[in-house]
Amino acid sequence: MESFNVNQQLAHALRAVVTGSGGEADASLRAAALERAAGGSPIAQPYDDLARQIGEAAYRVTDAHVVAVRDATGSDKGAFEIIMSACIGAGLSRWDAAVRAIEGAGDAAS
Amino acid sequence: MRLPDVERGDTLRSRTLIRIISAVSGIRLPDAARVAFYHKGFVGPMFGAWTQAAMRGPSEWSIGERELMAAMVAHWNSCTFCIGAHRAIAVRGTDPQTVNACLTDYRTAPIPERLRATLSFLETMTREPDKLDATHAQAAFSAGTSQAQLVDAAAVAAIFNIVTRYADALDFTIPTEEEFDKAAGMMLKRGYS
Repeated sequence: MESFNVNQQLAHALRAVVTGSGGEADASLRAAALERAAGGSPIAQPYDDLARQIGEAAYRVTDAHVVAVRDATGSDKGAFEIIMSACIGAGLSRWDAAVRAIEGAGDAAS
Repeated sequence: MRLPDVERGDTLRSRTLIRIISAVSGIRLPDAARVAFYHKGFVGPMFGAWTQAAMRGPSEWSIGERELMAAMVAHWNSCTFCIGAHRAIAVRGTDPQTVNACLTDYRTAPIPERLRATLSFLETMTREPDKLDATHAQAAFSAGTSQAQLVDAAAVAAIFNIVTRYADALDFTIPTEEEFDKAAGMMLKRGYS
């Protein structure tokens, strides 16, 4: 199905950019933030508090969460990358769940 | 915004664009646009491409329906900025009373059953993704949603589960209702890319 293929390709491409080489923060840290916000294992502080909070309830993120990560990464860009990585992790995990559910229903119907 | 560099722009070009657009439009350029202009070497272009495809690409859902879905995801994630922004766009394609009824309780809102069933799927996807399974998808199919429609809706929800999170993590400034309305017009003209 075309819509499925287009969206899946874009989701995969987005994940690759998050965890790829084109950023200021370490790629492994971005990947860890992505996974943490999707419910993955704890990571080093102060990144863990921010990534977990973004995953669970981003409206509860505080100035202190962001300042701590900004100080740890050394730049606004670095902090931005961690925030976006976590946000994208939370979104992509939900996309994956939706794909499994839709494919599962398709399998059940066939 | 919590990161000043994102708010003001990281290049001469983006800072100039922010100033010009704000001056021409008569409103402070919303923070969502400032994020889209920032750090173009990172996820912005790819995320923009997915957002444009999901929100404005070919779909059996109208633009207004997809904006309503975005507003609902924002509601489930308690994101004030995105509720305001996407409600303002949704009401340009859907009766405002219907949009408001959905935001109050989509289960009783006067909407087609396939849209109601799709929103139910998206609610579980947003709030309890670990519990989402084939039965939720089947319920949407049984209500008349096509597989393509459910995939398209899931893409909208995935994207707005991302956007609502960075809107809140960065502490976006909340525009006035008039500013949301003006920004809605701009969003309908230029889209998300």
